[in-house]
Amino acid sequence: MTQSLKDLSFQALFDVAADAMLLIDATGHVVLANVAAQELLEYPEADICGLDVSALMPLRYRDHHMDFMAAYSRKPEQRAMGSGKVLFALRRDGQEISVDIALSPIHTKEQLFTLVTLYPTDRRRAAEEALRVSEERLRLAKQAAGLGVFDFDANHNVLHWDEKMRELWGAETNESVSYKRFLTAIHPDDRAARLAALDRAIDIAGNGEFNAEYRVTNLHDGSERWVSAIGQMHFEDGHATRLVGVARDITEHKSFEKKMQDHRAETETLFTQQVAAQTVSAIAHELNQPLAAISAYSEVALHVLESDTIYPDNLKRALKGCVEQSQRAGQSLHELLAFLQKGDLVKTRLNINEVVKEALGIAKNNGYGAFNPKLHLDPNIPLVIGNRIQIQKVLVNLLRNAVEAMRGAKMPSSPISITVRTNPEVNMAHVTVQDNGPGLDREIAGRVFEPFFTTKPTGIGMGLAISRALTEANGGQLWLDPDTSNGATFHFTIPFAP
Amino acid sequence: MMNISDAIVFIVDDEAAIRDSLTLMIAQENIAVKAYGSAESFLAACQAERFGCAVIDIRMPGMDGMQLQDALSKRNILMPVIFLTGHGDIPMSVKAMKAGAVDFLTKPVTRERLLNSVRAAIQESEKILQQSANHKDAQSRLAELTDREQDVMMLAIQGYPNKEIARHLGISHRTVEIHKSKIMFKTGATNLLDLARIAHESGLNN
Repeated sequence: MTQSLKDLSFQALFDVAADAMLLIDATGHVVLANVAAQELLEYPEADICGLDVSALMPLRYRDHHMDFMAAYSRKPEQRAMGSGKVLFALRRDGQEISVDIALSPIHTKEQLFTLVTLYPTDRRRAAEEALRVSEERLRLAKQAAGLGVFDFDANHNVLHWDEKMRELWGAETNESVSYKRFLTAIHPDDRAARLAALDRAIDIAGNGEFNAEYRVTNLHDGSERWVSAIGQMHFEDGHATRLVGVARDITEHKSFEKKMQDHRAETETLFTQQVAAQTVSAIAHELNQPLAAISAYSEVALHVLESDTIYPDNLKRALKGCVEQSQRAGQSLHELLAFLQKGDLVKTRLNINEVVKEALGIAKNNGYGAFNPKLHLDPNIPLVIGNRIQIQKVLVNLLRNAVEAMRGAKMPSSPISITVRTNPEVNMAHVTVQDNGPGLDREIAGRVFEPFFTTKPTGIGMGLAISRALTEANGGQLWLDPDTSNGATFHFTIPFAP
Repeated sequence: MMNISDAIVFIVDDEAAIRDSLTLMIAQENIAVKAYGSAESFLAACQAERFGCAVIDIRMPGMDGMQLQDALSKRNILMPVIFLTGHGDIPMSVKAMKAGAVDFLTKPVTRERLLNSVRAAIQESEKILQQSANHKDAQSRLAELTDREQDVMMLAIQGYPNKEIARHLGISHRTVEIHKSKIMFKTGATNLLDLARIAHESGLNN
């Protein structure tokens, strides 16, 4: 054994050494470089041998190296690792690597050789540094996120907790925490939910995720905190063996959530109250106008009767006004009730062309006739089924809106085109009402069907909401054409009679 | 004295039935009425210094009642305004009254209430027009005065005796007397008190 070792040549040892080694002659030239050195410095063997050793160090060290070489040749001695400062070697590609260098003089008869061993310090230090940074980062992140780490080993029934977990449960630093003690701290109302979450995690068919929220009573100070635990179950041979995860104090989050919930509920109540107030105000306005007129007409009539000379024309006009305004008030009420209750309606077979013509007549009688109707009817369209009054109402509402829009834009007696055709897509009668008014901007277009939405200072804001409800009650749809560049275009459909 | 039969009541309301019924009601009192369906159409037809008043609905499409009142005063149309509103909104009525409305009536309004208000507004209109006429008259009279005569007048209506005025302006007592008689002649004032009134009406204070 010893004998065979003695037979090993220097060259063989040199070549297999794990550390990077160079053999330098007295003139400072590389005689040999082992494989590790070739790899470290990235030189092929043929190129490194014969190289002046100063070529293997950064320029700034070369002068100093000459002095060092001179001193060394006068008094060659071993220099161990780590005795000097950090040195740099120059790789073939010009990259500097930090190295620790050991020198071992080898005296032969002919000359002085020096064995140079290079230990790269970069990698070791970098690895150590990386580990330290990573641990620090994890620690900081845990701290910042308020995360506690737990690790339950089911095989050995051991529960590992970090400081934060102990803090949450109020356990002493070195005290071992039994599973039972862990459970006792959990709020009784939350135990079942936590257990269910655990069962899901244990389920071999599942993905092993554990996710639970529960209250923990701190054993130390008795305070109650909300905790969110997230973990991953590990399995061995089809058995859950280990649950590792993090727990977080979410008490503040929970109280914020509660506050938000309360706030939402409050906002909703407020909104409901507002809608109710708006409804009442709209109804009040809608009724007050005819009432005001009826009151004035009635007093006019009374005054006529009390006068010495009776003007029958005035009396007639006043009483007629009373009747009309009473009718109007009643109709407003019925419409609102119809919208709110949507009672049963009688549907009959109707010629939609006729309904359009009737609606035009009603619009004119109601004072919305200030337009130039352009009718495009389809004489061959099949009969539809629906409630005549309601479909008329939808049409009158659309005409009234169109007239008011054009009036608002000071465009008197503009054309309104009404088109009746068959919509083959849904197989229904399709009616289009298009005005030449200013159209609607995008924001308003998105809201026109909302109840109580109005752009008119005297409007109740129910017209289109009611119209849509009426159309739907008749089995059709009412919508606004997205293109409002040439005035507003409304479409509605009514199903054909079977 | 103006006659109530010369006054016109302008009704501005977008509701046809309100316009119609109120027109009938006021016409029964033999007061002339003109009704308009919008603030804009009324404004276009409205003349300054018209004897009468306006009954204006607060809530109207386009220009509303408050904006109309504002537009009238900007155009120097001195017409008393009575507001009509669907609901008696107190902050709104306070604002309207501050802006010079004569009255603020809630619909439905009784015949008595409306007519009282209209009559008061017509009286107010008469007063306004009279003041306006006086003002113009006084201004035109004072326009005849020379600068020196104006100086003398200002001192005279403050009650300074002629001697004082003469000393103050560095002129003779006699010259002051001549200026004063010219002032009285040009303004048509009968005495110093009358002269003070004219100066006040023309907008000259102190």
